[in-house]
Amino acid sequence: MELDELKGKWAEHDRKLDLSIRLNRQLMLETYTKRAKFALWRLAAVLALGSITLLAVIVWLGAFTAKYWATPKFTIPAILLDLAAIAALVALNAQIGMALKIDYNQPIAAIQKRLEKLRLFRIRYIQAILVSAALLWMPSFIVALKGFFDADVYRLFATAWIVTNVAFGFAVLVLGIWLSKKYLPGAGYNLNAATGFLATLAEFEQDASYSSQERSSMRAYSPEE
Amino acid sequence: MTTAAVQDRFQTLVEEHKKILYKVCNSYCKNPGDRDDLAQEIIVQLWRSFGAFDQRVRFSTWMYRIALNVAISFYRRESVRSRHVISGDEHLLEVADETASRPEEVRVLYQWIERLDPLNKALALLYLDGNNYQEIADVLGISETNAATKISRLKQTLRQEVGAK
Repeated sequence: MELDELKGKWAEHDRKLDLSIRLNRQLMLETYTKRAKFALWRLAAVLALGSITLLAVIVWLGAFTAKYWATPKFTIPAILLDLAAIAALVALNAQIGMALKIDYNQPIAAIQKRLEKLRLFRIRYIQAILVSAALLWMPSFIVALKGFFDADVYRLFATAWIVTNVAFGFAVLVLGIWLSKKYLPGAGYNLNAATGFLATLAEFEQDASYSSQERSSMRAYSPEE
Repeated sequence: MTTAAVQDRFQTLVEEHKKILYKVCNSYCKNPGDRDDLAQEIIVQLWRSFGAFDQRVRFSTWMYRIALNVAISFYRRESVRSRHVISGDEHLLEVADETASRPEEVRVLYQWIERLDPLNKALALLYLDGNNYQEIADVLGISETNAATKISRLKQTLRQEVGAK
């Protein structure tokens, strides 16, 4: 079976399609008016909610740092948390900025590459949040207890307990990575799928060279054929 | 032009090219529910981009570019999150049972397209719909010679998979 032969049948079938398809204009109008608004509203809500929360955390941590500036045992964890919150805010806004810049009216290879890079960025953002959660829980505990209850973790618990918990955070992280690799081979699936598709796109964009057989079977093509 | 006039023009143009919507949705989704959802996503993107539609370009080429971009993203989405789908009983595209009346060759073509990866699906659809190499290259964002080579390879694949008759 040759593609060019089948193309004729496809065109014949295509002509008949006009009669068998009906576009529901009323539903179409509702779709692009309501749904487009809903998508924009959702994006705006994510941006507003995420940014306001992170900004509040940054401001609160800033105030905390200023208050305990002379006490490094509190300011160091607070600065660490503040830096993580600033990075999260920047990354969140970068993601939304990237999403808003995507114009589907561009060639497929270019847009799919941008979408895949955005997907990759989002996966790494989530990974970074999970990693920081494992590593920053102890600084969060120190700052939260001092900030909300004026309690000093260093006095309540022995230094050894704190060091053990920081080490435990690292251990949980390393163990989590090891376990997911050993028992959940699909855990890295999203990341692999995104990088894999980027490689496919690069290959697709690359100028393919003709084999001698292809060259001999090639001829000029116009849609009128 | 008033919003109502723009909407009317948009709807008329999409209606004239509804077959593109149908073919893209059918090639990228097996499930009828997903097809309807994809059709709605395509309509939303078409409307959003309509303001930037360059009249020097054929509407079908422009529509194909957006529809295929949306379809590939839809196809690649890992998990189908709950979406805001309007109406459960009504469908954007109402189709009389054309699958039963499909000639065997067209059925074979649809099955073959279904097995292709999302980028080659786009290539096959554009070729079958009579776009020339330049138009195919413009929609895909590759060079004309690259488009020609890839089509030649698609022909070989079809020959190998479907077999000579």
